[in-house]
Amino acid sequence: MYALLLQSAEDVTREIARLQHGYEFLSYGLIVAWLILVVYVLMMVGRERKLKREIAGLKAMLEEKR
Amino acid sequence: MRDKILILIGAVAFGLLFKDLIAMKGFTESNQGVIFKIIFFHVPMAITALACALVAFLASIAFLVTKNFKFDATAVAVTEVGLAFLAGNLITGSIWGRVAWGIWWTWDARLTSALVCWLLYAGYLMLRRAIEEPTQRATFAAVFSIFAFIDVPIVIFSIKWWRTQHPAPVFWGGTGSFPAEWYPTFGWQMLAILLLGVVLTCVRLRQEEFQREIDSLRRMAHAL
Repeated sequence: MYALLLQSAEDVTREIARLQHGYEFLSYGLIVAWLILVVYVLMMVGRERKLKREIAGLKAMLEEKR
Repeated sequence: MRDKILILIGAVAFGLLFKDLIAMKGFTESNQGVIFKIIFFHVPMAITALACALVAFLASIAFLVTKNFKFDATAVAVTEVGLAFLAGNLITGSIWGRVAWGIWWTWDARLTSALVCWLLYAGYLMLRRAIEEPTQRATFAAVFSIFAFIDVPIVIFSIKWWRTQHPAPVFWGGTGSFPAEWYPTFGWQMLAILLLGVVLTCVRLRQEEFQREIDSLRRMAHAL
């Protein structure tokens, strides 16, 4: 606390800018990490739906042929 | 029942990730600033990805020995999940590097070997798409996966074998340090991401089962 009082206004401004810069990039990192997971899960869900539709279609076609 | 268990494990994993986000708020590091917190995602993602590569390697050997397609399905499922986690690892590392080093990327041994690893496993998935015949596809893919695994020890040990710009190991005898009070959060984070990997692999494995069912239905349709 005392050390902070000894710093000039410029030092404090620089430290705040450094912190903001760090937070900005940390948020990018967290967003990317979560986004990759969410996009991959959504891709999985979409693929599963497509596969289920294809199975249902093929089964219906086989029933018709029989 | 299987779906409910997977949803439960997934919910536990997401719960742990949120819990750790809150726990991390109290951690401070004077040299790097807040950006160091990315290690809690970056490292567990790398470990999960490399664990997936190990499982793919073992499953590929098992397929070549037994010719059982369940092993081939396991190999493709874990490879795809591992690739997603390795992408997360590379991108979060790059974002950390932008703040810590002032650059997004550098061609040092760790970063390059990890990128080569990602490209190899992406190549594995592309190879699978290029071959129609299932037995041939599984055999070629298994051989490719075994060769691709050669890069994994290089990725792991690169920071010990060479002087790299990438930080020295903090967990296994390196010069880096990791405060003792961060270990529980790191452990939970590791568990959460591993659990997510397991859930995603199980879901992907089921899709491989669906694909095999489609293949057999198609064969029946052609036979009729």
